[in-house]
Amino acid sequence: MSEESRDVFKLSRDWLSVQEVVDAVSSSSCGAVSVFIGTTREDQMEGRKVIGLEYEAYECMAQSEFTRLCDDIRARWPIVKHICVHHRLGWVKVGEASVVMAISSPHRGDGQQAIQYGISQLKATLPIWKKEVYESQDADWKENAECSWSTYRERNKT
Amino acid sequence: FVGFPPQVLVLYFAKSAELTGRKEEELPDVPTPISSGDLWRLLLRRHPRLSALQHHVVLAVRQQYVAVGDQVVTLADGDEVAVVPPLSGG
Repeated sequence: MSEESRDVFKLSRDWLSVQEVVDAVSSSSCGAVSVFIGTTREDQMEGRKVIGLEYEAYECMAQSEFTRLCDDIRARWPIVKHICVHHRLGWVKVGEASVVMAISSPHRGDGQQAIQYGISQLKATLPIWKKEVYESQDADWKENAECSWSTYRERNKT
Repeated sequence: FVGFPPQVLVLYFAKSAELTGRKEEELPDVPTPISSGDLWRLLLRRHPRLSALQHHVVLAVRQQYVAVGDQVVTLADGDEVAVVPPLSGG
């Protein structure tokens, strides 16, 4: 009797509970739960101190891209059991977790690889944006280097 | 037989919402089919400040990413088209 695999995605305006994400992927068939927690750094950007982040999402598309991402992860690591991502929306203070991802697998090797890949792909494909807000009340929309249309990538054609 | 050109809902996110001053707008009479490049240029004519995103933006049509270029899309009444600046989730 095998348990059906779960893909769980939640956007939350409240602080994230790592335990909740871990519990969402727990399985008696799995000896490993791999977890990634992304937190907001107190960065000094060119002398400006970051006091927090503002997150925005194209919510229904973030969900469908998450589903696509999970299908991709499962195609590469078929042994992965459950996948869960919780991501913040709205204002996030420095030091708080902005994203928690957990993957369960029978053994740790697949889970650890899958989560590394999963976070990179999440940054490349989920329609979520963050704005850094500085002490000066200035703000800057950030870009992931993983995103193929970011200004970090050189454009070869118009 | 002549069909009525569709009314499309355009969604603006992140920097594009700041540049246009709005999060969404109804766009009536959008030509269809239309190339993603022509669709982008249509939005640029309405909101010239979007040019700040030139070469670093994609569109999402019915929640599927479409690069700005030659790809032809067909639009139906009520379809969502999103302007997608570089992502920064995670």
